[in-house]
Amino acid sequence: MTSDRTVSRLARILALIPYVLERGSVEVDEIIEKFGYTPEQLSRDLDTVFVCGLPGYGPGDLMEAYISDHEVIVDAADYFSRAPRLTSTEALGLLSSGLTALGMGEESAALESAVAKLAKALMPDADAVTIDVLDDTANVGLLRKASVNRQVVSITYRSIAKEETTDRQIEPWAVAHTLGNWYVVGHCRLVDDERTFRIDRIRRIEVLDEQFDRPVGTTDPVIGYSPSDGDISCLIDLTDRALWVTDYYPVEVVEERDDGSTVRFWSSDPELAARLLIRLGDTGRLVEGEEVRSRLVALGESLLTRYS
Amino acid sequence: MPRGRPLRGQNWGVQNVIERVLNLLIYLLESSRPVTADDVRYTVQGYDAQSDDAFHRMFERDKEVLRRLGVPIKQEALDVWEVDYGYTVDPEEYALVDLQLNQEERVALSIAAKMVRLGGSHLGLEALLKMGGVERGVGLEPVGADLGAGAEVLGSLFGALTERKEVTFAYKGSERRVRPYGIAHRRGHWYLAGGTDEGERVYRIDRIERLKVADKANSFKKPRAYDIKGAIDRHPWEAGSGDRIEAVVEFDPEVAWWAARTLGLSEPDDILQATIPVSNVDAFIGWVLSFGDQAEIVSPPEMREEVRRRVIGSMST
Repeated sequence: MTSDRTVSRLARILALIPYVLERGSVEVDEIIEKFGYTPEQLSRDLDTVFVCGLPGYGPGDLMEAYISDHEVIVDAADYFSRAPRLTSTEALGLLSSGLTALGMGEESAALESAVAKLAKALMPDADAVTIDVLDDTANVGLLRKASVNRQVVSITYRSIAKEETTDRQIEPWAVAHTLGNWYVVGHCRLVDDERTFRIDRIRRIEVLDEQFDRPVGTTDPVIGYSPSDGDISCLIDLTDRALWVTDYYPVEVVEERDDGSTVRFWSSDPELAARLLIRLGDTGRLVEGEEVRSRLVALGESLLTRYS
Repeated sequence: MPRGRPLRGQNWGVQNVIERVLNLLIYLLESSRPVTADDVRYTVQGYDAQSDDAFHRMFERDKEVLRRLGVPIKQEALDVWEVDYGYTVDPEEYALVDLQLNQEERVALSIAAKMVRLGGSHLGLEALLKMGGVERGVGLEPVGADLGAGAEVLGSLFGALTERKEVTFAYKGSERRVRPYGIAHRRGHWYLAGGTDEGERVYRIDRIERLKVADKANSFKKPRAYDIKGAIDRHPWEAGSGDRIEAVVEFDPEVAWWAARTLGLSEPDDILQATIPVSNVDAFIGWVLSFGDQAEIVSPPEMREEVRRRVIGSMST
C-alpha cells in the first residue's frame, strides 16, 4: 500500500500545475500560502515535475517547472491544464464542511451560494446529504461570539457526573462540536486550569465586560476523553447483549470472549459508572472497583425506594 | 532557462513512485487508444528493469494510487477471450468541473473547511486544493466541528448515491442490499437512508461492514416523496420498529431545565412532568437512568417494573 503522504504529495502537484499554467507564472509566496507549501517542499516538487513528461523523456518531452525571480513557472504540461476531479470522499468533505458551517448558524450569503453551487454540481438531489449539528442555537451562538471577541463569561454549570451545580467564570478559548455535542474549551477561573464544558449543561450564561488573552494554538481543540489523575476506574463484565457499551464509552477492552467482554471503564466520578451498571441490569456485572460498588448500592437503593 | 537533473535526496523510493505515477498518468492521458500493461512496461520510464512479478505488483499499486487521486481509469478487454486488457483515461472525465465560484464564495468555503473535521482530517481542504488552493488571509476561527471517523465508508456511500449504484453490506450479522437515497449526520452519528426489498430503512454507518458498491450506475430512482430528514429520528428512543408507547416522566428541579432542553420544551421553574412517545424502550430507559435517581418514570407500570428489574439485576451480581 502506498502511503497517504505519497498520495497527498501527488495530489498537491496535480493541483499546483494547472493553477500555474493558467496564470503563466505565480509569485512563490502566493503558492506557498494557497497550497500550504514550505519553500523546501515547493522546490522539491518543482524539481520532480521537471524530470517527468512524455515517453522519450528527452529535453523536449519533459515538463518545465522552476522558480525564477520569485515566480513559479510551469510550461509544456498541457495534459495537466486542469486538476483531477474530486474523489467522492473529497466532495463529501467539502460539501459537509459547507453544510456544517451553515448549520452552525454561520450567516453568510457567500457561504449559502457556495454551498448551493456545490450541492448542484456534486449531489443528485438537494437533500442527499443532511447535517444537523445544532440543537441549542442560542447558547452556542453566545459562547462563540464571546470566544471570537475574547470576552470572559460567567456560567452556571451542572457537571456531567457529579450531581452539583456551580457558578464559575471561564475564558472561552474555542467552541467545538464533537459526536453530537457542543463543548466550550477554556480556562476555568474556579479551578485555575483548562476545562471542557458541555454546552447543553450550561444553564445560564452571562457575557462579561472583561477581555482575556487567548493562548496560542487553542482555537482548534480536539475534544476527547483521556483519563486524568483523579479519575477512577472499574472493571465490568459485559454479556454479548451489552457490547454496545464499547461503541459509546471510552472503555478499554481487557478481555474478549465468545459470549462477551471484560472492559475497564474510566470516569471522573463513580456515579457515571453506577448509572451505566443499572442501565445494564443483568447484562453487565461489576467485577472490580469498590468506590463504584458503594455508589451502585446507594443509587440502587434510592431508585428502589422511588419505584416501590 | 535552468535545465539539468536536480540532486536526489534520501527519499529515493518515494521520489521514484511520484515520478513514475506522474509519467504513467501523462502517458494514459495522452494515448489516443487503450494501452496494455506491456505498453506501459516498455514505454513509461520507471517500469523497465523489473521482473514480471515486480512489474505487475508495481503497476497494480500505481493504478490504485491514481484511483485514490480521483483519476478515472477505464479498463476494457481487448479481445473476446478477455486475455489482454487496455487502459485509458479520458481527459474530459479526468478534469475537475469548474464550479464557477467567485472570490467571496471561495473565502467562505475556505473558512468552513478549516472548521470541519471528517475522519480526523480537514477533507474539505483537500478538495479546495484541487479547486485552486485555499484562500489566503483566512485565519482560524475559534469554532470547530468534528463529524466523526470512517471517512472511507462515507466517501464510498456518497459515491454510490451520486451515481445511483446499489450497495451491499453486512449489518448486525446479516447481509443487506440497499438503494442509497441519502446520508445524514445527526446526534453525532452518520446514517444511511435507503430503499430495500422490504421497504425503506435507516442504518448507522459506523456499523456497516464489508461494504460493496455495485458496478451498474443509474440502477434505481429515489422515490420523489422520500424525506430523509423525517426518516431519521430526533431522539434515540424514537428509533425502532416497536409500537409507540406514551411514557410519563417526572424530573427533579435540579435536572428539569436540562431535560426540558433535550425534549424541546420550555424550561420549568420546578419539577417537570413530561409525556414522551417511545418506540425504543431500552434506549428510553437508558436515557432516564442517565439522570440517576433524579428522574422517575411515572407510567406505564411495565416500564417501572423494567427499571426495578434492572436495579435488582445490577445489584445482585
